[in-house]
Amino acid sequence: MWLPLLGLILGISLGLLTEMQVPEIYESYLSIAVLAALDTLFGGIRAHLQHVYDDKVFVSGFFFNIALAAALAFLGVHLGIDLYLAAIFAFGVRLFQNIAVIRRIMLTKWSERKKQ
Amino acid sequence: MKKTVYIRFTIILLIVGFMLAVQYNTVQNPETRDTRDIWAIRQELSKETETHSELLSEVYMLDQTILKYGNMVSESAAFALEDTVVQLKEDIGLVDYTGPGLTIKVEPSLESIALGQPVEGISPDLLIRLINEINRFKAKDIEVDGKRIIYSSPIRDVNGKTTVNNIPVRNAPFMIRIGTSTYDEAQKMYNQLEASTIGDDFYIDNLKLKIGEPEQIIRISAYDQPVNNHFLKEVPEGES
Repeated sequence: MWLPLLGLILGISLGLLTEMQVPEIYESYLSIAVLAALDTLFGGIRAHLQHVYDDKVFVSGFFFNIALAAALAFLGVHLGIDLYLAAIFAFGVRLFQNIAVIRRIMLTKWSERKKQ
Repeated sequence: MKKTVYIRFTIILLIVGFMLAVQYNTVQNPETRDTRDIWAIRQELSKETETHSELLSEVYMLDQTILKYGNMVSESAAFALEDTVVQLKEDIGLVDYTGPGLTIKVEPSLESIALGQPVEGISPDLLIRLINEINRFKAKDIEVDGKRIIYSSPIRDVNGKTTVNNIPVRNAPFMIRIGTSTYDEAQKMYNQLEASTIGDDFYIDNLKLKIGEPEQIIRISAYDQPVNNHFLKEVPEGES
């Protein structure tokens, strides 16, 4: 349980300590990639809790979603359409849904444990 | 099985964390490249030094006022206040000015005289430009054709005539008197005006600027119209 949290803290401290920055023009790509990553992550947690977790789906989904989101943003920039908004909307909605499902599962588990 | 899941999550979370941190770095302190060259930096530095010395002199003046107030408490507070009123009146131009400065004569250009062109008055735009230029060179008091310029002096076109303080300005030739804080300042102003391109703008309007030598003593008359104040009200005597 603590291992993933440790990974997160390690990643954040690594990023902060290296003081790495992306150029301003690539900022939107990174933000959308972060959103895609968070979406996949919560999707993975939900799948794990629902016992439908698949390693391949999770890992491939993570990288594929990031790449797709960045590609969409890239295409949008070159076509002059804010396509990244579509990605933000899709990922945002899914993120909320996933979190809602996780919350419900947690609540059910908690109440079951209380009954016992 | 469970262990591999945790490891996967850990790796993914590590990447997510790293991405979040990079994004945070980028948003919080965007890297802006300093593209100024040494001259631009020097110029900025000299500007800042100038501001610094200006502020210092202002602080000195305010210190003097405080000191004066402090001294006057034992003597007469009214005297100190009166002194301040005189100072303020001097600052905005309600009293005559006598001191160092220079005189500019605006006259028709030689070409217009030779060709017999009618002398036209100075346009408000041109006069405003000249006054802005003079103020840029730190003039203390300005008088255009006998009309004292104060903070609220209007310069505008009324029925085809350029007016200052709602009084028409004569056609060229007429005088512009500029008061400066010191004789050195007047000298500096003379050089700056000589070097400035404002003369060319006058030339387009068939006018010529004749900038006089700096003088130790020039006289500028006071602003002779009532000053309207929209925000401050006079307290009736006896109240405080």
